[in-house]
Amino acid sequence: MTKRWLKLAAVPIALAFVAAACGSDDESGGGDTTPASEAPAATDAPDDGGDAGGGGDFDGATVTITGPERDDPSIASLNDVLGEFGEANNINIEYTGDADWEANINTQVQGGNPPNISYFPQPGKLADFARAGNLKPVTDQVNETLDEFWLDGFQLYGNVDGTQYGVPAKTDLKSLVWYQPAAFAAAGYEVPTTFAEFTALIDTMAAADGPKPLCVGIESGQATGWTYTDWVEEMVLRLHGPEVYDGWVDNSIPFDDERIQEAMQAPVDLWTEDNVFAAAGSIAATSFADNGQPLVDGQCYMHRQANFFAGLFPEGTTFADPADDSAVDVFYFPDINGDKPVLTAGIFAAAFDEDPATMAVMNYIATAEYAEKRQAAQTEAVGGGLSGYLSAAIGQDPSVYQPLEQSFLSILESAEIARFDGSDLMPADVGAGTFWSEGTSLVNGDIDVSEAASRIQASWPG
Amino acid sequence: METLERTDTSGEPDDPIVEAGQPVTRDAQWYLKVVVAVAIAVGMLYWAAVEEKIRSTLITVVITVAASAGLWIAANFLFDQVRNRWATFNAIAFGLLGAVLGVLLHGNKLTLGSGSGFFTWVIGPLVGAVVLGGLGYVMTRTQDPNQRLTIATGTGLAAGIVIAVTIREQFQPGLDVVAIVVYTAILAAVGAGLSILLKHSPVGGAMIGAAIGWILGAWGGADLGDGSLVESLVATVVPAVLLGARFGMTTDPDYTERVNIDTRSRAVIFVGPAILFIFVMLVVPAIRTGYLSLLDRDSEEFVDGENYGSVFTDRNSLDVDNWTDMFTSVPFLIGVVLLGLAVVVGAAMKKRTGRAVEIGNPTVGPLVVGLLLVSFGAFTAMRGTLINNLWWVVVVTFFSTALGLAIAVLADGRRGERVAKSIIFMPMAISLVGASIIWRFVYLARDTSTEQTGVMNALWVGLGRLSTGSGLPTLIVTVLLAICVVLALIFLSNALVKREYGRAVVPAILTVSLGWFFVRFVGIIGDGVGGFKIDDDGTVSGQTIFFVQEVPYANFWLMVIMIWIQTGFSMVILSSAIKAVPTELIEAAKIDGATESQAFWRVILPQIATTIGVIVTTLIVGVMKVFDIVKVTTNGQFGTQVLANNMFDEAFNRVNIGKGAALAMLIFFSVLPVMIFNIRKMQQEG
Amino acid sequence: MSITAPLVNDASPGGQPGDEPSGIIDRVYGFLRGIPTGILWFIVVIWSIPTLGLFVNSFRNRDGQRGSGWWNVSPSELTFDNYDQIFGARSGLLRSLLNSAAIAIPATIIPIAIAAFAAYGFAWIDFKGRKGLFIATVSLLAIPLQVALIPLLQMFVGGAKYTVPLLDKTITIVPDFDLAGTTTAVWLTHTGFAMPFAIFLLHNYISSLPKDLFEAARIDGANHFTIFWRLVLPLSIPVLAAFAIFQFLWTWNDYLIANTMIGANASQQPTTILIANLAGDFGRNEHVLPAAGFVQAFVPLVVFFALQRYFVRGILAGSVKG
Repeated sequence: MTKRWLKLAAVPIALAFVAAACGSDDESGGGDTTPASEAPAATDAPDDGGDAGGGGDFDGATVTITGPERDDPSIASLNDVLGEFGEANNINIEYTGDADWEANINTQVQGGNPPNISYFPQPGKLADFARAGNLKPVTDQVNETLDEFWLDGFQLYGNVDGTQYGVPAKTDLKSLVWYQPAAFAAAGYEVPTTFAEFTALIDTMAAADGPKPLCVGIESGQATGWTYTDWVEEMVLRLHGPEVYDGWVDNSIPFDDERIQEAMQAPVDLWTEDNVFAAAGSIAATSFADNGQPLVDGQCYMHRQANFFAGLFPEGTTFADPADDSAVDVFYFPDINGDKPVLTAGIFAAAFDEDPATMAVMNYIATAEYAEKRQAAQTEAVGGGLSGYLSAAIGQDPSVYQPLEQSFLSILESAEIARFDGSDLMPADVGAGTFWSEGTSLVNGDIDVSEAASRIQASWPG
Repeated sequence: METLERTDTSGEPDDPIVEAGQPVTRDAQWYLKVVVAVAIAVGMLYWAAVEEKIRSTLITVVITVAASAGLWIAANFLFDQVRNRWATFNAIAFGLLGAVLGVLLHGNKLTLGSGSGFFTWVIGPLVGAVVLGGLGYVMTRTQDPNQRLTIATGTGLAAGIVIAVTIREQFQPGLDVVAIVVYTAILAAVGAGLSILLKHSPVGGAMIGAAIGWILGAWGGADLGDGSLVESLVATVVPAVLLGARFGMTTDPDYTERVNIDTRSRAVIFVGPAILFIFVMLVVPAIRTGYLSLLDRDSEEFVDGENYGSVFTDRNSLDVDNWTDMFTSVPFLIGVVLLGLAVVVGAAMKKRTGRAVEIGNPTVGPLVVGLLLVSFGAFTAMRGTLINNLWWVVVVTFFSTALGLAIAVLADGRRGERVAKSIIFMPMAISLVGASIIWRFVYLARDTSTEQTGVMNALWVGLGRLSTGSGLPTLIVTVLLAICVVLALIFLSNALVKREYGRAVVPAILTVSLGWFFVRFVGIIGDGVGGFKIDDDGTVSGQTIFFVQEVPYANFWLMVIMIWIQTGFSMVILSSAIKAVPTELIEAAKIDGATESQAFWRVILPQIATTIGVIVTTLIVGVMKVFDIVKVTTNGQFGTQVLANNMFDEAFNRVNIGKGAALAMLIFFSVLPVMIFNIRKMQQEG
Repeated sequence: MSITAPLVNDASPGGQPGDEPSGIIDRVYGFLRGIPTGILWFIVVIWSIPTLGLFVNSFRNRDGQRGSGWWNVSPSELTFDNYDQIFGARSGLLRSLLNSAAIAIPATIIPIAIAAFAAYGFAWIDFKGRKGLFIATVSLLAIPLQVALIPLLQMFVGGAKYTVPLLDKTITIVPDFDLAGTTTAVWLTHTGFAMPFAIFLLHNYISSLPKDLFEAARIDGANHFTIFWRLVLPLSIPVLAAFAIFQFLWTWNDYLIANTMIGANASQQPTTILIANLAGDFGRNEHVLPAAGFVQAFVPLVVFFALQRYFVRGILAGSVKG
């Protein structure tokens, strides 16, 4: 009997817990759960000016950052750089590299639980969030820092309808062709400087009984097809120029336009069985990361891919080293009309709140110091060689970059026509959806170009 | 070990409580387990002490679980009193109600004196408990209707006044008469309506409804802090008196009614927690999803059924242009032949036993396989998400159940049962990240100039090399194949001569398939089998299969992964069902002269039919919702898109909320009939 | 395949005692009878090949995995590097294993308890609307869990509030317990989602327990709580164990729910998320995944072996309706 009464006594206690929880909620007044909300008021924010690394005190406020980069070297360098800054300013910065960033950032925003800052590889997505009011514009101070360290052209894609939301954090150069100078020299081939020379070279190589001209593989797990879209972007730029490119990106020139279809067909025409070595037997089945090994092994001569592909060559590969016969080098993916267009991509940081600590971190990301330190840390993390990181921030110490990386930077700086990766600017339905998937079907020979183009166009939202 | 336990219990089936309640024998193994468990517990505690985050997690979990369990058990003990200690029950139940009221008022700092811990959490609730508990107790001792009404109404009045007087000034409501009238009227009508529905007098329901409406209207509609003591009194006393009067109108329940109360409240106690979780986690989101599916991509405007319509008009979800292709597909044709065979066998069986199709007779084999192949052929001819989903359901459900059953039966009681079952179960334990990597190693293709690193392509290309080669290995394989074909033929003819057609099925299938393989292998028809191609100049080179890139067969190779994973599931459940079949039944059948396989078809299968129904239903539902396998392998490319992945894509990647919600509802609606049919059938049986 | 042959021979003599083979045909049939065992082990071998490949590859470095099939492995190339790497200082695998446990253990025990109550209630307590409610409950099994993720996340982030029409007053239905980004949110979600299936499975079993058992107990004056505690629970151990195994596996290996609920909170991530992130950009570090997959699968396998012994014939002999 007494046992029963003891058990009964548990009831009011349990109820009290529930009520206590309810009560305490009322006191806190509305569920503002942002950890940084207890940070000091804006007036306490230290004025770092240009030198953002200087010591401020944010009272241990937490700033969470997410992003798609989750490689060991990337995470190591980001943690190094952000950790150092956080320590100096008493901010607890946590970076999470997320394998499923594209989907997760949507969920987190819709669920009301976004990080403080996120790295966006797709300006299109950044603009969507900015227009929906989820992102917060950068403060004037960050804007000043941006103007100090970044050319307008690079700031542009972080700017939505005249307001700056994004801060460039990484720059990629896409219009590159990787090759082995020694292999070229041995076969007597010259680096092509025009697109006509490039195709002629491919024909010559294909006719010769040696390695195939190109390594191509567009498999990339859930993102299969993005390498193909890069080729299409290059071809639109080269065949029809920047105006058509811009029109295509905002869909005032639709996908089923003849000019776009021409550009979509061009890579497919080039990727014949004679021209392409695909490590897995077919282009659609070959992982894009598997194109480095055959190039080094001498199964193909060339591979068009962005600067970050350096990290995907087999371990021990040397770059632009005349003393080493197996060294790999790049040349500019030749143009057609002599206007030297450059295709770029990059990552932008954008903030989901305006807390002083968050903006201090944003401000730091905008500086050359951030870029320089990250490059140094990442080079160290990969054990020398090409880091895979690149930043076009002005005023970095050039010595942190290898000679080859410096040449990437000079291509970026001198480019008259530079366009950002179109698929990253398009709505996700297309740019990270049908453009990839229908493009893959086209490459795989399941559908023809007009079918692919009309399906992609049909999926354009609105 | 299993045989031991089997003999243990088979003798006394009528006393399961004692059996199950007996302590496990404490052997060395038992002590080892205890030591391990204690070590783990100590480790966890140590960790909890060191890591702050883990500690808080642990504390949250322990408190939640303990509080809920305490609450549940306490509720059970409380309602144990209903039948025989009605007065005690009433006192406690009403006392609790009063305590809760006190906690709510005080906890939210609405009343005077709250805020200081002792008064807030002890005195306030105590007063509530004493007042209402006293009322409950007194009412059980009062049988006269007039007295009951007086006491209850009086207590209500008193309680109302006390609460009104103690309400803090800043919470006194400035009354909004319209709100009071509207809410009181609406809720009184609702209460009356509910009462009529439940076949009670509408007055009681109307009174409760009016009281709740009054509270809502008076407190919710008011500007708090603008009111006076009088308004407070109006807001509180009226509902309190109404509720009190309603309670006073009841009669004290007799024993039968108390039993009813007991049963009904037990139902709530037992079913309630589950319903609560389901309501919050599934029902509310589901209703919301249904609503969103009618809106546009940003959930702003109504688009009627456009989201649903687009699923059916989109070529990516339904493309039956080339449906006639199925008449030329090989599986379809083989299926048709098998169905023809089934008709012939069925006719023969009808003559012999009077029933053409019966579980376990020879008609079933060709019939099922034929149907499967015909549908397979049809699915390969059509394209689109909806077709893919159907295809998945047919293939995965069939193979997972059949293989799971086969393994459960074959392994039952045999040596190495545990090892076999564990290995079959293993895929379930491997996460999807692991599984995607595993199957990459299986399906991978490499350029034919290099070595194949994928198992299937290595076998396929190797087979091609063997088949087109002429060395010693080719010769050996040819001879072995020939021996197998001849053996199969011998068994077939033997069974036919003895007129045991049931036994002829397996050898017949073996003969045909092995024979066909032999013919192809040695090149009597075609050039051989396997992954090879012969160029114009006659050189033979390897030819790989792009398993997950080839439309439409990529679907099938993804299904294989699901079958690989899910078979363990059906096996475990079917195995436990088979083990639950009483041994005596099987023994009895064997004594009656049934063979092992007859015992299976006639005794075991009917016994586990319900379980098979459960498995099939679960699998159909699971397969309709298949998502992760497709996502990690192809992400819907190469014609492998399925509804759930499409939904995830639309809702999470493209943020087209309307379309995503519509796809989710579509999955729900398409599985619903299966579920309802199955449950109804089970309830008819039960 | 050569493995199967000796096993067949091994098993067939013990299989059928009292049926002595005589004559060639009978001897052949004796062999034929061994075929089922052969088929069993054939399936087992097929089933284990993919996992075996994973296991072997977990001990090979990146070039080894890419360069040749796992069946060509040479003992000299075996290495623990992959395991070293995933247990390395920065990866936080140990912490994530603990997070996984903090999710999977409550997410297994709590649904079992709640669903067992409900299954018993639906099966043996006679109340109005029982059938309808049961069908409605179990039909919800058909809801793809993705639809509930965002609403639930919103609830965990800010609680649930309802604005009463006409009055413009907001009532807090579920207070904000600050659960966003915690393992608690994950197992609560798992508990909700597991409910329909758990009730479905347990009800199917509990409702098939023999009626006389309950009637006898009733006559002895036992109430529902006693019957449930003393009779139903012990009798249902096999099905509870079966469900426990699956639920533990699903929650242990779950990626989607944890990913949604925990989001950017690295300190609460379970192993699934950690491992997915280990693969690196563009799958550059994919070679560590086989090793990680094994570490991940180790715990559920232990659970399976621990609970497997409860599926024994006889615990409920005579208790399934015939």
